Amino acid sequence: MPYHEFECSTCIPERKQHAVVKAPGEDLTSCLPLGYLNTIPGSISERGCAYCGAKHVIGTPMKDVIHISHGPIGCTYDTWQTKRYISDNGNFQLRYTFATDVREKHIVFGAEKLLKQNIIEAFKAHPDIKRMTIYQTCATALIGDDIDAIAGEVMEEMPDVDIFVCNSPGFAGPSQSGGHHKINIAWVNNKVGTVEPEITSDYVINYVGEYNIQGDQEVMLDFFKRMGIQVLSTFTGNGKYDDLRAMHRAHLNVLECARSAEYICNELRVRYGIPRLDIDGFGFEPLSASLRKIGLFFGIEDRAQAIIDEETRKWKPALDWYKERLKGKKVCLWPGGSKLWHWANVIEEEMGVRVVSVYTKFGHQGDMEKGIARCSEGALAIDDPNELEGLEALERLKPDVIFTGKRPGEVAKKVGVPYLNAHAYHNGPYKGYEGWVRFARDIYNAIYSPIHQLASLDISKDPIPTSHGFMTPEMISDAGLDEAVRASDVLRPYTGKADIITPLREKTDYPEFPRRQSAAE
Amino acid sequence: MTDMTKDRVEQLIDYIMKKCLWQFHSRNWDRERQNKGILGMTTALLCDEPVDIEDPKERCYWVDAVVLADAYRTRYPWINTLSKDEIRELMAALHARLDHLTITGSLNAELTDKNY
Amino acid sequence: MTCEFKIKDRVGTINPIFTCQPAGAQYASIGIKDCIGIVHGGQGCVMFVRLLISQHLKESFEIASSSVHEDGAVFGALDRVEQAVDVLLMRYPHVKVVPIITTCSTEVIGDDVDGVITKLQEELLDVKYPDREVHLIPIHTPSFVGSMVSGYDVAVRDFVKHFSKKGKPSLKINLITGWVNPGDVKELKHLLAAMEVEANVLFEIESFDSPLMPDGSAVSHGSTTIADLEDTANAQGTIALNRYEGGAAAKWLQKRWDVPAVIGPTPIGIRNTDTFLQNVKAMTGHPIPDSLVRERGIAIDAITDLTHMFLADKRVAIYGNPDLVLGLAEYCLDLEMKPVLLLLGDENAGYAEDPRIKALQENVSHDMEIVYNADLFELEQRLKDGLELDLIMGHSKGRFVSMDYKVPMLRVGFPTYDRAGLYRYPVVGYAGATWLAEQMANTIFSDMEYKNNREWILNMW
Repeated sequence: MPYHEFECSTCIPERKQHAVVKAPGEDLTSCLPLGYLNTIPGSISERGCAYCGAKHVIGTPMKDVIHISHGPIGCTYDTWQTKRYISDNGNFQLRYTFATDVREKHIVFGAEKLLKQNIIEAFKAHPDIKRMTIYQTCATALIGDDIDAIAGEVMEEMPDVDIFVCNSPGFAGPSQSGGHHKINIAWVNNKVGTVEPEITSDYVINYVGEYNIQGDQEVMLDFFKRMGIQVLSTFTGNGKYDDLRAMHRAHLNVLECARSAEYICNELRVRYGIPRLDIDGFGFEPLSASLRKIGLFFGIEDRAQAIIDEETRKWKPALDWYKERLKGKKVCLWPGGSKLWHWANVIEEEMGVRVVSVYTKFGHQGDMEKGIARCSEGALAIDDPNELEGLEALERLKPDVIFTGKRPGEVAKKVGVPYLNAHAYHNGPYKGYEGWVRFARDIYNAIYSPIHQLASLDISKDPIPTSHGFMTPEMISDAGLDEAVRASDVLRPYTGKADIITPLREKTDYPEFPRRQSAAE
Repeated sequence: MTDMTKDRVEQLIDYIMKKCLWQFHSRNWDRERQNKGILGMTTALLCDEPVDIEDPKERCYWVDAVVLADAYRTRYPWINTLSKDEIRELMAALHARLDHLTITGSLNAELTDKNY
Repeated sequence: MTCEFKIKDRVGTINPIFTCQPAGAQYASIGIKDCIGIVHGGQGCVMFVRLLISQHLKESFEIASSSVHEDGAVFGALDRVEQAVDVLLMRYPHVKVVPIITTCSTEVIGDDVDGVITKLQEELLDVKYPDREVHLIPIHTPSFVGSMVSGYDVAVRDFVKHFSKKGKPSLKINLITGWVNPGDVKELKHLLAAMEVEANVLFEIESFDSPLMPDGSAVSHGSTTIADLEDTANAQGTIALNRYEGGAAAKWLQKRWDVPAVIGPTPIGIRNTDTFLQNVKAMTGHPIPDSLVRERGIAIDAITDLTHMFLADKRVAIYGNPDLVLGLAEYCLDLEMKPVLLLLGDENAGYAEDPRIKALQENVSHDMEIVYNADLFELEQRLKDGLELDLIMGHSKGRFVSMDYKVPMLRVGFPTYDRAGLYRYPVVGYAGATWLAEQMANTIFSDMEYKNNREWILNMW
């Protein structure tokens, strides 16, 4: 096994099995780190907790719901306004968060009465919202409050409201992934099948494992609408609570982030016979293949192909403009879970960069299988990385850019590596054809920032170029470029607007496809 | 297996590994079903044989198979020169190799979990 | 006209103003040199707090977790602490100070952190690290008690309790800053330097405004040393600027080591800065130099341009850390403004006895509410019900109230992640008074222009 042992971790030998180098000749039967094991205390891991995996990652993107955490205020405060999952209803889910504010006396005497008061207060404060999710936290799990019972009581007393309970305290698993699992299973057990949807198309899907970061879901929804597909629900970005109760009526589950949401697809397949189709919304070729597969499934491949052709024609020249300029740039692809495999191969193929390392904070071995399978030879793969290992890897690999979270991004900045936010993005969306070009643009802007060039100069001893009053990114990126590429009248940089989501929300000119007679009757 | 078959299997495997996700469902029984279903369909498509896609589950295998078969024909033109028997033989070898990489030889300790 | 002091009447919290106790202890811990705290609880209690502080400071720094998982929650998790301490010490050879910060989960399961520290001292430190100075310090910060503010207070007190050591009397003073920004510490140290007063500053966090160096060598961490903390017992006196964030440490030093304590005022505004300098002068005998007379004059000159013309009668709501809110309210009154609503985000028995709150109740001549145990929905509800405001002052988590109700907002306090560089500027001292008045004015000016509200008044000024 080609394990990579970090110098900083020789004193914790169990870490050795958590990093591998994909050396020539290695495959998945010889090259896979351990994963999803309990974190080594004191290692300064980057993992979060199972509460945040349930509440913050999957629960809260639901947009028409009061999200209330049953516990002290900290859990809800800390997971509030730290993500960019937007919605088309004014971002209620980002703007409001609720905590039952459990105190010492409740720890001693129980907090069920407090919870009930809270539920009633919250509905009163937002009379237009009739749906609620309650998230258990460490404190209320340990004192054993029966949240389900209270929720049931309230639903009996207030027949127009519906409440979902998610029992996923912070300690319930090695990472946030434990919470993904718990909320998936709780939803399918308790809510799926409790609403019958209106079916308006012959082609009905659930779009699963998509959280509408900076509008990703809305970009994909546009494609589905152009194909005449009814998206019954999105689990959970920009998603509606009642739509998600009707998931059982879809013909197909289209799954993006298998890490966080494969459980519900698997259960829907077992319980309702709905097939699971894993797709990639990122990258021209993977996205085209994905749209084509969905089209094929419903026998409307031509509709998919029309979108693929139109979008590719429109955006490929811009993507290639960046590809020419990003060729050979070294990337550390250090996200949370699914992006390590969503992006690993396609950024190499379509942007010309080289992925020198992948890591996953909370993923399982299955994610590493996908990530390592998609990596090129030589890549360093790290499971549950920690602060010192990250720094050691940066020192060794000297990447040109890193895709990771906000705080690790600050670590990279200090050692002169520009960062892009892999979780929340810089200026997304990154899904869809235009979105993918925006990602390339953001990578380009990070690597070729004139300020980034200045950062590594030591004015006390380096030769300092004094001939320019300024540099543009293009002056830097195009210096070594072939004349034919530089002067190409086909390739062009991205010039789209900052906000491409609002126009999508206002768009009405979708084609109307007549329904098949038998289905419509 | 001849060296040439081995080499061809590796090319086909490489494509699946880099471009597909269906081979990495989270449990052994799923992976067996997926590999068999999709590679079976792909073999049929490459051999121009009819496939039964009435059942949604089969249809879902089929869509992955269509895209895979098309990619194989375009990226690996040598596949178009093979006889049906040769294709079947090659795909059987591919199936065995994929099962080895993703199931029997897999180091993923979660594959044998009883539940999702 | 009354100033009403009351508790929020809902039991729950909609959009909290504060996070919980362990976050305060963590913020305190990063002020100490060679210190990495271990938060004993679930990983989210660290991961999100690091993210929060890192968003505010735009820097990274280390805090560890004992990573309590399911088995620990059921059977007790002290073994996780033992392992965490060893792993941390092995991998960070410079670390000397390791606070063990508890959370709700580990307090509920009743882990004996004090006991395990004794055990670790005997079985780990004395055996494996006999030649290394290591301090393990229990800090009890259950999340269901108090708030991040009390967590900070508890942590400062417990650090001081652990380290302070009677030695030779020193001419220094102890300056306990409370929960402030790097820019505040810089300004406070500047004021003391002008008075030629040396201080043990708890905590020296100005290095969090750290550089990106060409060789990549810069790291962000606090620089208050063990020696500084030990010496707190020998100082001429302690000035704790914030009653609720460091006051407990000052009181403890007075009780334990007879170090005279002056608690408050938070030196926000001209008047409170004057008082602070008088306190320093009284404690040390050092005169106030001409340079500060001049600095004060520069501030007053700038503020005079703004106060009666632009700021007078402006109705303000302020929320956040109690000492900050009260300090800002006092300064607003000096600026002829009307703080009509103060929101304190926790339930602290001390508020009712706070002399600043009493003084407001006795002297304010406009309608004013001070709500404690408040949340940001209190602000929103009042705006919904017609409260008229010209300005909101508070941290970034209240940004949507400002946007939704079209009330201009000056970001102040913690966290202020949605504005660039605010951690760099002081709100304390004369420089802080200038900065605050000018930012308030500029915020109002921009709003006038966006709303075409007498924007022509600025055609000439």
